[in-house]
Amino acid sequence: MIPLQISPFQYVANGVVFSSIIVLAAIGLSLVYSIADFANFAHGDLMTVGAFSALFSVGFFRPMLGDAGVFGLPLWFFLALAFGMGTAAVISVITDRVIYQPVKGSDSIGLLISSIGVALVYRALVFLSFGTEAERYGVPRQGPIPWVRESLGIAVTPRNLVVVTLTVVLVAALHLTLTRTTLGRKMRATADNADLARISGIRTSEVIIAMWLIGGALAAAGGVFLGLEELVRPRMGFDILLIVFAAVILGGIGSVYGAMLGGLVIGMVHELVPLFNQWGVIPVGSRYAAAVAFVIMVAILLVRPSGIAGDSG
Amino acid sequence: MSAVSSWVSETLVRDATERRIFAVLGLITVLLVAGVFAGVIGPRFLLFQIALVGMYALLSLGLNVQWGYAGLINFSVAAFWGIGAYCAALLTAPNSPLGLGLHPVFGFLAAIVVSALIAVLIGIPTLRLREDYLAIASLGLAEVIRAIILNERRWTAGSSGISGIPNLMSWLPLTDAATTAAIVVVLIAVVYLFLRRVHRSPWGRVLRTIRSDEDLAKALGKDTYRFKMQAFVIGSVIMAVAGAFYAHLNLYIDPSDLVPLTTFYIWIAVILGGTGSNRGAVVGAAVVIAIREGTRFLNDIGFIQTLGIDLAPLRLLFVGGLIILIMRFRQDGLLPPKDELIWPAARDGSRSGGASPSSAAPDGGTAPNGGDDR
Repeated sequence: MIPLQISPFQYVANGVVFSSIIVLAAIGLSLVYSIADFANFAHGDLMTVGAFSALFSVGFFRPMLGDAGVFGLPLWFFLALAFGMGTAAVISVITDRVIYQPVKGSDSIGLLISSIGVALVYRALVFLSFGTEAERYGVPRQGPIPWVRESLGIAVTPRNLVVVTLTVVLVAALHLTLTRTTLGRKMRATADNADLARISGIRTSEVIIAMWLIGGALAAAGGVFLGLEELVRPRMGFDILLIVFAAVILGGIGSVYGAMLGGLVIGMVHELVPLFNQWGVIPVGSRYAAAVAFVIMVAILLVRPSGIAGDSG
Repeated sequence: MSAVSSWVSETLVRDATERRIFAVLGLITVLLVAGVFAGVIGPRFLLFQIALVGMYALLSLGLNVQWGYAGLINFSVAAFWGIGAYCAALLTAPNSPLGLGLHPVFGFLAAIVVSALIAVLIGIPTLRLREDYLAIASLGLAEVIRAIILNERRWTAGSSGISGIPNLMSWLPLTDAATTAAIVVVLIAVVYLFLRRVHRSPWGRVLRTIRSDEDLAKALGKDTYRFKMQAFVIGSVIMAVAGAFYAHLNLYIDPSDLVPLTTFYIWIAVILGGTGSNRGAVVGAAVVIAIREGTRFLNDIGFIQTLGIDLAPLRLLFVGGLIILIMRFRQDGLLPPKDELIWPAARDGSRSGGASPSSAAPDGGTAPNGGDDR
C-alpha cells in the first residue's frame, strides 16, 4: 500500500491528518483554559467519550442508511460523527454543572484536581459500557486515491481528505462564530476579562455553557477522527492528552488561534519524527514521538512561556 | 502511663472526627491481629501488606512536601517512584541488564541522586510559572520516563521486568517479611521526624506562605523559586526512596506500575488524609492500600467471579469518584493540619501567657498542656 521507500511527502501528508486531530482537541482545551480558567485534564477522555458515543450510534445509523455514501465514506459515519459531537457537548455541559460549578468556590487548582477525577470516571464508564478492547467503526477499507499516488508518490485515502476537510470546515466555522456573531464577541470578552464582561451585561453563565458545548463537540470530532484513522480505544484520549497540552502551551494558553497553530506544529512534528530520525536530526524514532512533543513543550516553557500567540505568562 | 495517655489524647483523639477515624483504624488493626491468631491471615501476608502501606505512606509524605507544603502539583509521582525502583533493581540485581549486583546502599544512593537531578531538570522550566504548568509538564515527564523504561530494553529489560533483587539486611535474625516491615517503619519514622522538623522551621513557614500567597512571599523578599525547587526535590527524593524500598520488598519490578493511576492513588492518599498534614498522609496511604488490596481480594471471591464483573474499571470509577467527592465536600481531608505546625514551646508559652487567642487550638478538646503535639 505504501511504497517501500517512504517519500518525505508521505510523512507530511500523515502530519496534516494528525495535526487536524490535534488542532480540534487543542481548540477545545484552550477554550476551557481561557473561559473556565483551569487546565482540564479530562479533555482527552472527553475525546474518548465522543469517539465511543459515535461508535454506539453506528449500531442504529448503519442499518437505517445502508451503504449509501458520500466522499468515499458511508453516510452513517457522518451521522455518527454528529451524534458523537452532540453527546460529548451535552456531557461536558452536564459535567460542568454537576461537578465543576459546585467546586467553583475554590481556585483553579481545585478544578484541575477535580478534572483528574472526571477523567478517570469518564474512562471507567467507557470501560464499563464498551469493554476494554480496541474497536473499529467498520468503515470499508479504502485504497489510496490513484491520481495522488501517481502524481506525488504518496498514499492518501479519501478518509484522510474527509478528516482534513471537515477540520478546516469546523475551524472556519469557529472562526466566523468568534468574529462575526454576538455570541463570539461575548465569548472573547469573557475570555479576556470575565468580571468586566459581567459588568457590561454579558450573561457569562450562558457564555460558559456555549464554550463547553463548542469545546466538547470539537473534542469529540477529534476523537472520532482519531478512531477513524487508528482504532477506537478506551485510553486513546488520555494517551494523546500530553500532545494536546504541548500544542496548547506552544500556541499560548487560552489563545484559540494559538491552539490552532500549536496543534498544526506539534501534530506535524509528531509525524515527522521518523523522518528527522532518518536524516539524523534527532537520535530517536517514532516510539518517542510523544517525548519529542514533550521536549518542545519544555523548551517553549524555558524560552517563551506565553507561547507563540499568548500575551502574558 | 499518664504520659502515654496524655500523648494519645493530645495527638490522636483531639476531636470527635479524629476519635472516630482512629477508632475505625484501631478496630481494623484489632481485626487483622485477630485474623492472624485465628489463622485466617498469614502473618507473612500481613507483614507484606504493612510494608506496602509503609511504602505508600512514604510516597504520600513525599507528595505532601510538594503539594501539601508548597502547593506544587506533581503528576509524576509514579515516575519518581519508578526511578527509585529501577535504580535499586538495576544496580543490585545480579541478573539485571547491567549485571552489577552491588550492595543495596548503592541502589538507594543512585535513587536519591538521579531523582534529585530529574526533579531539578523538570523544576527549572516550570517552577517560575503558574502552578498548572508543573502539572502538565510532570504528567508529560511521567509518560516519557515510562516510554524510556519500556523501550530501552538493553538497559532496563523493558516490559519483561527485572527479577532477582536481593532482600534488605538479610543478616538480621528475622524473617524477610519482618525485616522489610521493620525497615519501612524506621524509614517512615525518620522521614516523618525530618519533615516535621523542617516544616516547623522558618523554611516551612516560607513554604506555607508561598502556598497561600506567593506574591506575598515575594514581596517579603523571599526567593520563592528556590524554596519551591527545594520542596520539589525533597519530595521527589522521598518518592524515589520509597521506590527503591519497593524494589527490595517485591524483589521484582516491571513498568506496569508506572502508569498514571499509581500517581492518582497517592494524590487520593494526600488529599483524603488532609493536605499539608503528615499524619493525614500516613492514614490516607493506609486507606488507599485498603481500597487497592481490598478490591483485589474481592476478585478472588468466587461469587464475584461468577457475576463476570471486571473489577479494574470499577476501581477506576471509585478512584475518580473519590477525587471528585473529596474536592467537592471535604477539601480539608480527614485529618487536616492543626497545631502541628507550631513549636510546642511557642504554643504552650502563648497559652500560659493567656494572651493571644490561639487559633490553632484543638476544636473540641480539653487537651491539657504538656506532651508532644505531633
